[in-house]
Amino acid sequence: MSMQYYQHFPVLSIMILFLGAFLVALFHKSRFMRTFITSVAVIGSFAMMIALIKPVMLNGEIITYWLGGRVPDGGYAIGIALEVDAVSLFFGILVSLAVLLSGLYSFRYTKQDDARDKFFTLYLMLAGGVMGIVLSGDLFNIYVMLEVMTFAAVALTAYRSWNPNAREAAFKYLVVGSIGSSSVLLGIALIYANCHTLNLAQISALAMSKMNPSMLLAFALLFVGFGTKAFMVPFHPIAADAHAAAPSSVSVLISGVFTKTGVYGIIRVCYFLFRTMGMPAVQTGVVLIGSVSMFLCVTMALNQHDFKRLLAFHSISQIGYILTSLGLCTALGIAGGLYHAINHTLFKGLLFLTAGAVLYSTGTTKLEKLGGLAKKMPQTAALFMIGAFSISGVPPFNGFVSKWMIYQATYEKAMETGSIGYALVTVLAVVTSVLTLASFVKVGQSVFFGEMPIEYQNVKETPASMLVPMWIMAGLCLATGLLPNLMFKYLLGPATGAVLNSPAYIDSAMGAGYAASQMPDMSLMADPVIVFAGAWKPLSWLLLFVIILAAVALASLMSKKRTSESGAVIDSKHDTFFGGEENTFSQVASGDLFWGFKHNMRKYLGFMSNAHNGITNEYVTWGVVDLAIIIVYCFIFI
Amino acid sequence: MIVANYIGAILLVAIGFYAMMTNPNIIRIVVGMNIVDYGLNLMIVSVGFNQGGTAPIYTLGELTSGMYFVDPIPQALTLTSIVIGACVTAMSIALCIKMYSEYGTLDARQIRRLHG
Repeated sequence: MSMQYYQHFPVLSIMILFLGAFLVALFHKSRFMRTFITSVAVIGSFAMMIALIKPVMLNGEIITYWLGGRVPDGGYAIGIALEVDAVSLFFGILVSLAVLLSGLYSFRYTKQDDARDKFFTLYLMLAGGVMGIVLSGDLFNIYVMLEVMTFAAVALTAYRSWNPNAREAAFKYLVVGSIGSSSVLLGIALIYANCHTLNLAQISALAMSKMNPSMLLAFALLFVGFGTKAFMVPFHPIAADAHAAAPSSVSVLISGVFTKTGVYGIIRVCYFLFRTMGMPAVQTGVVLIGSVSMFLCVTMALNQHDFKRLLAFHSISQIGYILTSLGLCTALGIAGGLYHAINHTLFKGLLFLTAGAVLYSTGTTKLEKLGGLAKKMPQTAALFMIGAFSISGVPPFNGFVSKWMIYQATYEKAMETGSIGYALVTVLAVVTSVLTLASFVKVGQSVFFGEMPIEYQNVKETPASMLVPMWIMAGLCLATGLLPNLMFKYLLGPATGAVLNSPAYIDSAMGAGYAASQMPDMSLMADPVIVFAGAWKPLSWLLLFVIILAAVALASLMSKKRTSESGAVIDSKHDTFFGGEENTFSQVASGDLFWGFKHNMRKYLGFMSNAHNGITNEYVTWGVVDLAIIIVYCFIFI
Repeated sequence: MIVANYIGAILLVAIGFYAMMTNPNIIRIVVGMNIVDYGLNLMIVSVGFNQGGTAPIYTLGELTSGMYFVDPIPQALTLTSIVIGACVTAMSIALCIKMYSEYGTLDARQIRRLHG
């Protein structure tokens, strides 16, 4: 068997990051060496991923690399494999791109920190762990990489010694995250007990005929485990804490990359290992979790007073979109979800980097303290606007295209199944998008516009070495929005096909014909052709408009009802025609643009705010209860 | 009896989660995480156990088809899992020490600057 040169790229792209991590630790004294080694590692890893586009995405190859040359023997995969199909490569490109841009940004950004020599070791460990997960073809290997990744991420969260909240955030992250890690490990043990293999491809082939209660339990455990890594509700509070405490370039990785491993894991578990995504019960469950994450986190974001914490909640809200879309199990839904995954990495990365730039220049991310920075930092403000437009789904930025596909996919699903629930999901997705826009109007107004506090008179524009990666991200936000056809040809089309075609994945690892000999049902879960129901169809636009109008009407009706019952308000700033004259000390702060809206929603928002009370035990309880509910759900409905 | 192992493993996991849910002392939360780990290790080792099997230590030449030994892979997995568990414990205890010096308490109910 002759090997093409590119078949070594997957293992090399992981190794170069880990090797870089250790070399940085070795040469930690010299700033030049640290920068040089990190650059070589991240650029090399990205270049190898790009080089794989041609064979994997365009020629449809699936690269299987057996470590140590231990190929399957007697129908059993005894070695550890790296297996790169289009899904793996899609996530690999996304990860290495975010790692590259965020790494370039970090060189200057970490200047304010005291333990700079350790930063890039942890950074490259995190990157290597993530690459290991998305390229690996071995379940236990994935678990080990998951732990490496979590470990590096926790360490980086606690990294800023001058941030007083960092240790607390890291501890919560570690404790609540350990529920997910334990679930994954227990799930792996149960799978091994049933299938006697750890190879993803072989498990995928064997699992269907071996379905029994313990396999069902394993499915539930793995789903929750990867869900924890994606910070699905109710694991979202730890994400908010961690994002806010970590350095911004690490927030980019946690939000753009770390969560994607969870999404990737859910794809592998639901579409490959157990092939359960075809079942309506699983679809309902995943869509439900996705929609709840989507809506709950955007309302939590309305409550926030910290730039990065607000971004963190939006990040999980967008992950909700991705889960919802992937849970539909249609070609359009999968493509929309994957599209949104790459867009999320880009615009969320951009927004976190602008937040980092603001922090770098002013030393704070508190929305109340900031204001009017657009005069001093025009480029950063422009970049923020691009990111905000993208995340809110304003055409022609990338968020629009992917969200539009998600609306269509949910709506189509509603038409297909005739269920009102999926139609509600469409409405919820649109409403969430509107709330996202509202929230970013508030951030823009309180950070970049409005009145500038006197202490920021001498603030300077972000340094060029930080601006360049941000401009690249902004350019990619626009490019992915304007060139959906290229995206479909090179990334999304092949990846969507690969998600639905697990027999090809199995045969590539175990030899041709293995899937046919073991699987009782080889049929594809959905037609892999993406029927793009015309993004520019006027009729669809009209429909969307009607949905938004209905949502707004509904919201205004509900808020009217609320105001009428809230009669006795003491503070005059909540009066209808408040102008600021009567109560001198009750100014409408710049962070409080939507105080009227928030006041009307105060019962809900207050309840939510009290629920997220920051006690570790309660977050653990949420997680364990969620685990129990999902296990029970699986046993009842599957 | 191998069933006893499975029941014990699940019980350990449940006890560990219970400790993490109810104990406000952060050191005890870490102990809870450890108990969950022990439960998982017991589970994995039990999965590979064969009644009457010998230890799986052979060189390639000694292997014949009639040999009967326990599955070596879960033992390797357990070792890995123990190492990871030890690292997680070390890290979380380190964070506990830092938090104690910053907050002056080990009570999780008072370590809640990040909320809402």
